[in-house]
Amino acid sequence: MGLNRNVSLMTALRYKGQGPFLTYILHRIGGLGMAIFITVHLLASFLSGKGGHFINAIYENWVFQIFIFFCVLFHAINGLRITILDLFPKLIPYHRQAITIEWVAFLAIYGFAVFTIIRTGLGG
Amino acid sequence: MEITIKIFRYDPEKDTRGHYETYVVEGDENDRVLDVLELVKGKTDGSLAFRRSCAHGVCGSDAMRINGRNHLACKTLVRDVGANITVEPVLGLKVKKDLVVDMDPFFDNYKKMLPYLINESPLPADGRERLQSPEDRARFDESTKCILCAACTTSCPSYWANGNYYGPAAIVTAHRFIFDSRDEGASERLHILSETDGTVRCHTAYNCTEACPRDIKITKAIGEVKMAMVTGKLD
Ligand code: SF4
Ligand code: FES
Repeated sequence: MGLNRNVSLMTALRYKGQGPFLTYILHRIGGLGMAIFITVHLLASFLSGKGGHFINAIYENWVFQIFIFFCVLFHAINGLRITILDLFPKLIPYHRQAITIEWVAFLAIYGFAVFTIIRTGLGG
Repeated sequence: MEITIKIFRYDPEKDTRGHYETYVVEGDENDRVLDVLELVKGKTDGSLAFRRSCAHGVCGSDAMRINGRNHLACKTLVRDVGANITVEPVLGLKVKKDLVVDMDPFFDNYKKMLPYLINESPLPADGRERLQSPEDRARFDESTKCILCAACTTSCPSYWANGNYYGPAAIVTAHRFIFDSRDEGASERLHILSETDGTVRCHTAYNCTEACPRDIKITKAIGEVKMAMVTGKLD
């Protein structure tokens, strides 16, 4: 007898794993966002008529572009940090500093991109 | 001071699912969460079940989620977590009763790492010790500090998702022997860890390193094992 070992997604997300765990979650959201985007993108190019136009309109929208750029950029920068630490395990004790550097680089590039997307999106 | 503690409760003889019960006790900010649990058990509800033994962070029996994160109850002071405390069992292992989980799968994974010195070579000429330099000893010093509390393994999202994953604690155990210059079982252990339920399941979430009450740099140890697997070198 006993409660089973399953951990629900909500329980997992509520675990207070701090900064590194947040990047772990965002990395997966980024990957999932890109996978969905590419699937829908491929689908749109095969669909003619209204369906295709509707999907095109979604991902050409600037709000969606802000989201997908987040997915791509975060996944890339975080992936780079993971790769560097994987290749040089001696650096792993400095993972918190590495994550800080990662956020600084991400926010600088992402901030500039969002500014540009919004300005273009609003017809500036 | 008044301490409010919300505790996960589950009685396999009565309940089909867990629930929470809240208790208010008089305590001190320098009390440990373990003391608060003892107060509840001793004065309010003797049916409360939790593991403890040494009460000094040595035996590793009282890992639990305290305010949403794995800690040892005997090493966590009320003043560090506040007067409103939520205590739940660790994740990823079956709950047997209240805060007590089934540790068998955890120790099964530990055993799979061949947690003993393997050395078939003849003893040195004096027939006594297999000597080791301080530098060689330092190589695996950190991983000797593990107290098998399971705080790391049960904080790992890969382990939550797949209970077959050996888990960080088992890899720390393997690390302790793989990098011991007196041991000759490294390739056997690296082979075990190269299976699908081995180090490949570590996706560096760092929850294990954050949770370890012995401050073992677990992700680093796992990284070193991964590197040894790839390069075949133990330096
Ligand atoms: S490595 Fe740390 S958290 Fe994991 S079992 Fe050992 S002492 Fe506990
Ligand atoms: S009771 Fe032994 S480690 Fe906490």
